[in-house]
Amino acid sequence: MTARPLFPTQEIGSLAKPRWQLLGQRSEVLDDGAREELRSWDTRVGFGDEAPEVRDALLEGRPRDVSPEAVRDLGALFGLRFLETAGLDRVYDGEARRIEMYEYPIRQMRGFRFGGHVRSFDNKYYLKAAVVDEVRLDRPYHVDEFDFVKAHARAEPKLPITGPYTLADWSYNEYYLARQPGWKGRTARRSAQREFVVDLARRAIRPTLSALIEHGCRVLQIDEPAAGTHPDEASVVVEGFNAATEGLDAEFTMHICYSNYADLLPALLEAKRCRQWAWEFANRDSPGHDGYAVLKLLREYGDTREVGLGAVDVHRDRVEPPEMVADRVRRAAEYLGDPRRVWVNPDCGLRTRSLAVARAKLESVVAGAALARAEFESPRR
Amino acid sequence: MLVQTGLTGPFPRSEALVTATRDFDRGRTTDDAVEELFRRSEQEVVALERRLGFAGTTGGYLRWADLFRPFAETWEGFTVGPLTRWLETNTFYRQPVLLAPPGRTPGAIASRLPPPLVREPGSARVLLPGPYTFARMLDNRSGETEPALIHRLGRLLGEEVRELRGRGFETFLFSEPQLVVHPPEGPPAEAVVAGYAAVDAALAAGTSVVWTYGADARPAFPLLDRLPVSVVGVDLAETEVDQIPTGPARTGLGLGVVDPRTTLAEDPAEVARVVRAAQAHRRARSVWLGPGGPLDLLPWEPATRKLHVLPAVQRALSEGTA
Repeated sequence: MTARPLFPTQEIGSLAKPRWQLLGQRSEVLDDGAREELRSWDTRVGFGDEAPEVRDALLEGRPRDVSPEAVRDLGALFGLRFLETAGLDRVYDGEARRIEMYEYPIRQMRGFRFGGHVRSFDNKYYLKAAVVDEVRLDRPYHVDEFDFVKAHARAEPKLPITGPYTLADWSYNEYYLARQPGWKGRTARRSAQREFVVDLARRAIRPTLSALIEHGCRVLQIDEPAAGTHPDEASVVVEGFNAATEGLDAEFTMHICYSNYADLLPALLEAKRCRQWAWEFANRDSPGHDGYAVLKLLREYGDTREVGLGAVDVHRDRVEPPEMVADRVRRAAEYLGDPRRVWVNPDCGLRTRSLAVARAKLESVVAGAALARAEFESPRR
Repeated sequence: MLVQTGLTGPFPRSEALVTATRDFDRGRTTDDAVEELFRRSEQEVVALERRLGFAGTTGGYLRWADLFRPFAETWEGFTVGPLTRWLETNTFYRQPVLLAPPGRTPGAIASRLPPPLVREPGSARVLLPGPYTFARMLDNRSGETEPALIHRLGRLLGEEVRELRGRGFETFLFSEPQLVVHPPEGPPAEAVVAGYAAVDAALAAGTSVVWTYGADARPAFPLLDRLPVSVVGVDLAETEVDQIPTGPARTGLGLGVVDPRTTLAEDPAEVARVVRAAQAHRRARSVWLGPGGPLDLLPWEPATRKLHVLPAVQRALSEGTA
């Protein structure tokens, strides 16, 4: 394996689904815009020639000649090449086959019951399940999609998977709470949540991680966006992470975003097999407010793990210039006291941005990392 | 012990309403069809509240996008801002942005109340944001200090109460999670007391309820006990019952005994036991029982199921079976 460069780059999660994929997997004829989108991205990142019969069927208005699964495969190829040709060192498929990060994993398990929709905001809703029995895994998931990525990836693949704490936090805890004696107040709820998280980790996430590792997955990103929701439960996040990864041999990273990381430290540092913190920072970085200053805390606590540095904001269309990315990398390297620990990535998945904006931001990540690399490797330093 | 039951915040939309509002956003149904379903759903919630013997009706506040939106959309000085996380939940509200000192628009909030409440205001519970929670959860770019803003919002809400009293409404429920999530101290705390004094001055023999939730209420009790309100509510899923201090006899005790964070239905006998213990600590003459927080954190079916716990607890208390 070739040695990694200083400030290697990676993706974090999902990309917006191209319209041609959405129409194609519903067997609908592409409209002019979708056809042009497919043609132009094919020209730019080059993926259609790997499945020309699927691409051509879509372009020629024959969507029923190909299966929805073949269209999804083409979508996954597009995601891979999109990320690889942006210049990233570590990639996935843009989560081309996934719709969201909660319902799908829960539906691969037993012990849950979906009881209806909860309003997220305005007229937007999501399905939220209650755990009503012991958690059991039907079968490890994400394995087929990883096999596809592994077979086609040219850069190093990394698989993102929702962590046990987030799955538990986004569910109603019925079964484990019912087992608590007496009044179901604060103490009982915390205790029940801990049991739920650890059960999810041991019975569902760990077997899935194990299967993925058996299939050759070497880098796994455990997504815990809910970690910052209840800072006083940071130790439960850690317990879930440790239980999910216990005895497994792979490179694990933990992605958290939009949280006050200082509130999670030092408890989070007890995550034993976590090699990298992949956190969002750019969203909170602005003139007069150093969004990266919290990294100093890691140094103060003596933590020496890698940091996946969120260097571009996924909630704004404005594309950060490479110089801004380089400045952020420079600051992180200084705060951590070791440039070799810094990976560069977007804050989070780029699915909220158009593909054009996402691509521009990723190119800025790669160019900014190169700028910073040149500075650090320059003999003038 | 006088025991009342009822909703203390918004009720979830039914699956039919979920489908209709989604379809509306996607251009698959008409405004009239959605309006008709809202009307029917509000009447169904009122009917449910009556069937369960609740002391007041709310209609579920099904049309309100969030607690602040009617104000952010109609009061002067506001615009509607970005999506922001609602406390420690996976739900969001659009943060009101205050660009100038706020001013109310007469009649605007009355026009946003569920129509069944407007028809029978005497039995309605008017849901309002508490001045402290409102001030903390908006983006204040008006230049006003936090204490001045809290006090001003209290005065404006007092004017709102005065107008609604004139329209026949009697009971006003102020949603105040921030009073326990981030208990105020010093000038902001004094501004909270002054804000509720302004509400009290407008109340004219009406009933005012401050409902807290989302955190342990114990640290906030010294302030809560100073508020000139009829009832102070605490979330028993967060507050240990044996730590509720003795309070002023003038203030009714509100107890959030139905937890909207779990679909597990509470055991009425167990709840009755806890209510008795809380009442013994507090020595309140009246007890108001309700959900510990907004019930729209649950889907419609489990929320409805859990609401039935309230009359069962009331029965257990009156029968002395706890």
